Amino acid sequence: MCSSRSRRLVQQGIAGMVSQAAAHALLLVVAVSSVMPFFWMFFGSFKSYLELTTSSSLWPKVWTLANYQAIIFRVNFPRAFLNSVLVATPRTVSALVTSAAVGYVFAKYRFWGKDLLFTLLLSTMMVPFAVRLVPLYITVSDLHLVNTLGAVIVTALFSTFGTFLLRQFIEGIPDELFDAARIDGASEWWIYTRLILPLSGSPLAALAVFTFFWSWDDYLWPTIVLTSQGVKTLPLVLAGLRTMYWDRYDMWAAGSMLTVAPVMLLYSLAQRQFIRGIALTGMKA
Amino acid sequence: MISELAERPGIRVIYQVRRAFKRPQLWFALLWLSPWFAFYATFEWGPILRAFWMAVIDYKLLRPEESEFTGLKHFRMLFNYSLFWTALSQTLTYALTFYLISLPLALLVSALIVGVSRGRNFYQFVVFLPVVVSLVAVSLLFRMLMDSQIGAFNQILRSLGLPTSRFLTHHESALWSVIGVDIWKSLGFWVVILSAAMLNIPPEMYDAAKVDGASAWQRFWRVTLPLLGHTLMLISVLMVMHGLQVYTQVEVMTDGGPGTSTYVLNLLIYREAFENWRLSFATATAFSQFVMILAITVIQLKVLRPAWSY
Repeated sequence: MCSSRSRRLVQQGIAGMVSQAAAHALLLVVAVSSVMPFFWMFFGSFKSYLELTTSSSLWPKVWTLANYQAIIFRVNFPRAFLNSVLVATPRTVSALVTSAAVGYVFAKYRFWGKDLLFTLLLSTMMVPFAVRLVPLYITVSDLHLVNTLGAVIVTALFSTFGTFLLRQFIEGIPDELFDAARIDGASEWWIYTRLILPLSGSPLAALAVFTFFWSWDDYLWPTIVLTSQGVKTLPLVLAGLRTMYWDRYDMWAAGSMLTVAPVMLLYSLAQRQFIRGIALTGMKA
Repeated sequence: MISELAERPGIRVIYQVRRAFKRPQLWFALLWLSPWFAFYATFEWGPILRAFWMAVIDYKLLRPEESEFTGLKHFRMLFNYSLFWTALSQTLTYALTFYLISLPLALLVSALIVGVSRGRNFYQFVVFLPVVVSLVAVSLLFRMLMDSQIGAFNQILRSLGLPTSRFLTHHESALWSVIGVDIWKSLGFWVVILSAAMLNIPPEMYDAAKVDGASAWQRFWRVTLPLLGHTLMLISVLMVMHGLQVYTQVEVMTDGGPGTSTYVLNLLIYREAFENWRLSFATATAFSQFVMILAITVIQLKVLRPAWSY
């Protein structure tokens, strides 16, 4: 009796180990396939066009920086990089500040028409961007913002998603905290800066990460409103390599590397915020 | 005398309003809600309303005052336009294929990630990496990898003795190639949501199932999946909406080609608006897309709503 029980436990243990090994094997396949294309891009960016098109080895036989030089000096990547930063930063900061404030108003204030306004807000999330595309272009053009970075920044000062996220979060903060502060004579501004903002660290971090990377990667709207080389953001210039350097895969690889490397770096540093942010939105919804 | 005055409702309202204006909340709310309202009126609700108007007139870009009312003419033109039906069917194919492959794949990877005892952070980090990276860069990268002659994919296939594919340059394989890249890129996103939800399932459920003699497979089907009901519904809606509104990857990888084999609705809208400058027609197309997305989402929510929750 004792031996059969211990045999079953050992079997379960071995079965457990085998299934763990199998799981790891499968996950390694997924991991490798997630990363291999980037390796190809990395090595390809240091190869000459000749080597890229003729040789079949991953590792470059001759390492060259000519592609990067061309991208940086002739295509003016730094300008595009700067434009992307000039767009992403205000958009992110504005989204954080406004989402926390408006989220607080919708979460903790009572006033006539509040539910109506909030429903109106949510319903804008349901309408696909394509419907607003043409009228928005006309509005922006009436404001004389076409072909300026303002067209991309001003149209994203408020974040519907962020407002929703912060409202859900702030609703969970106990009312007694605010009552106590107000009894002690705190102004609404004090409540906002000293209570709401610090307490909302978690959703704000997730929103910051979300908004920054979303606006870094934004393509459709910037393609429409930004037409001259001097104001184009990074994804636009990168896509422009297709016509500027027809079939020059070495250039494409270098340009892609320059676009992707800073993002990967930020991701490695802020990984926890990223993942927590996505998980948070999944749960809240 | 004064108390009699205060009985009259008009005076009471005035006092209430005066009191309200003294409260700091009102000023804070006004301070933030005014720009908020102005923003949304200008950039969100206003354009939506204007889109309604633009779809039923013949909008003249340079002289909008002279636009004449045309009613449903644009919609009739749209439904007679063969490219619209091509784009519509290809968009639906895209969304359906994307969904049918991404969901099981994401479930599998999430189950594996949750199931391993060590290394979970590492796997999540790596799987999520493609999600973070610029979509344009990824589109260019895969266009290079899928090149028929010198692309790495065909090189590998050749070295393994397998038949090569023309991927993006052949009208039969182009759409599936784009979908494949999209699946690759977004997998990590779904995995993070699903694994977070899976980790939220109380282990007592699994213990109870094990006591009842359930195998691992049975535990997955009878415990994990039902308890993920709401998350699965959310992910389904998100996946399909993502597929129905695809634009960037198609534009960068194939620009609708070869021929029109990867033409999707968003591409049609954009082309009609900013290359043909048929603004009203494009807006009518956008509305048709909106109606389609709404209908599909409502159907999904009805069909996928879990019958119970815990």
